[in-house]
Amino acid sequence: MNLPSISFAYLRARPLSTLLNLALLALGIATITLLLLATRQLEDRMQRDAQAIDLVAGAKGSPMQLILSAVFHLDAPTGNIPLAEARELEKHAMVKQAIPLALGDSYKGFRIVGTTHDYPALYEARLAAGRLWGKPMEAVLGAQAARETRLATGMQFAGAHGLDGGGDAHESAPYVVTGVLAPTGSVLDRVVLTSVESVWAVHQHGEPGEDPQKLVEAMHEDEKELTALLIRYRSPIAAAVLPRYVNATPALQAASPALESARLFRMIGVGVEVMRAFGLVLVMAAGLSVFIALLNALQERRYDLAVMRMLGASPGRLMRLMVFEGLLLAAAGALLGLALGHLMAELLGAALRAARQPEITGWIFVPEELWLLALALGTGLAAALLPAWRASRTDVAAVLAEQ
Amino acid sequence: MIEITGLVHRYGPREVLRLESFSLAAGEACLLLGPSGCGKSTLLNILAGLLRPSEGAVVVAGEDLAGLPGAALDRHRGARLGIVPQKLHLVASLSLFDNLRLAQAMAGLPQDAARIAEVLAGLGLAEHAQRRPRALSHGQAQRAAVARAVVNRPQVLLADEPTSSLDDANAEAALALLQSQAHAAGATLVIATHDARAAARIPRQLRLAA
Repeated sequence: MNLPSISFAYLRARPLSTLLNLALLALGIATITLLLLATRQLEDRMQRDAQAIDLVAGAKGSPMQLILSAVFHLDAPTGNIPLAEARELEKHAMVKQAIPLALGDSYKGFRIVGTTHDYPALYEARLAAGRLWGKPMEAVLGAQAARETRLATGMQFAGAHGLDGGGDAHESAPYVVTGVLAPTGSVLDRVVLTSVESVWAVHQHGEPGEDPQKLVEAMHEDEKELTALLIRYRSPIAAAVLPRYVNATPALQAASPALESARLFRMIGVGVEVMRAFGLVLVMAAGLSVFIALLNALQERRYDLAVMRMLGASPGRLMRLMVFEGLLLAAAGALLGLALGHLMAELLGAALRAARQPEITGWIFVPEELWLLALALGTGLAAALLPAWRASRTDVAAVLAEQ
Repeated sequence: MIEITGLVHRYGPREVLRLESFSLAAGEACLLLGPSGCGKSTLLNILAGLLRPSEGAVVVAGEDLAGLPGAALDRHRGARLGIVPQKLHLVASLSLFDNLRLAQAMAGLPQDAARIAEVLAGLGLAEHAQRRPRALSHGQAQRAAVARAVVNRPQVLLADEPTSSLDDANAEAALALLQSQAHAAGATLVIATHDARAAARIPRQLRLAA
């Protein structure tokens, strides 16, 4: 019989109060944990998706929309740009590399991206099976796209018009899967890659079996369009020159992934801060609840505490008992909250996965969670101090004499 | 075993107890008699080390209580004294067995399950060892409180009004139980009561005036 066993016995004897306190604390900690896990993973993922891209050139419109569509493949494109304008930009002295993107179709919610082999190379992607596309209507699937569409090398599929997978299928122009990428932890995992010519050929609406290469060759140059160019600067000076040059072009606008991502996080950051504050309020409410519970317990247990003193316990021992109970509740609530937060992150990840959105997982640990544990224990300690002090000052003779 | 000299106790300016001299040898039993408010419980609390007297010297089980600092007094009380409070005050969230373990733990003594089993068996409580106090009858709870008081083999057993609100038969049983357990432990027994029925059983009596 030691402090923990006495505390456990007492908490077990009051299951409702104990569970309510645990639930309140756990909910607060879980809310903050979920926010920590979700924002950290989304920030990391967006940073990873955008890290090698200095500038995106696309049709005029919202720069954030351009970044969301061309870098993160989340939003609809702002429009298309003439191929000739894109070629002109590629030749600019400040451009080290320009990767074309042609969007428009999707397969089961995964975007079909017409591009060059430079695009998977940008993310240092490796093939898990097969090879990269070599000619029009050959396609390579990202890891998540392959897993969820159950497509493998050698299989055929028809893209659907539109980026949400709800449009008409291009049955007359099926793709052949030539390869599957290994997981990269980037946007590549949830796209289908092919050549730009494939995207053009599909939209020429040729006869079934018609050679896509010939369809592309038959296109007038003015008909050929891209959705965006992902640009890498030749030197840091380009950051000052190139955006201005692009924006001066009538059909183009420039958007910086770093700036737009930061702007996006500033915007959603307000919501995150509100949620974080809500979580803190829950933790503080839990602390208050533990305080009230311990204070009430002090009244309920005044005989027990007096008996312990009668049996030889020192005032300090009673103080330690109450502090231990506060810490025990706080630690249990914090661990429960952390587990709940990770579970909620995993469930949110599953929902995002089903919606073809960037995935998050509950199976990672961020160092800030240790601070959450410390916050909970601090709350438990603060809540227990006054009851503990009052317990240590129990007037044994007076309490035992109460009728 | 108990030596009291020039004892005075006051609550504020009000003197509630004065006892020039009193002594009790090891193994002796004594009743503290007197009407309500005469200082019986105060004296019992002083003997238990729960109250510090305003004046005088009190030696219990070889220790001058006035000279013992708080922590030592707590240890002394836990290890050498057994106390049966009037309201029994068993800890409701613990089983009967754990109430006795609590007595050992609070006294800083090693956990001795065999001793607990022996005490419970001796008081006919073995089959109730895992029950919570609220599942016990009043008689069983009284025996449980005595069991808790004697489990650490005290040198002095103190009981506060053990027969109040009991009928004759149960009062007789409670007194017999305390005497037998004190005798078995070789402990000095002090019972504070205003119950005249107790006077017939224990000849040594200290009458306190109101």
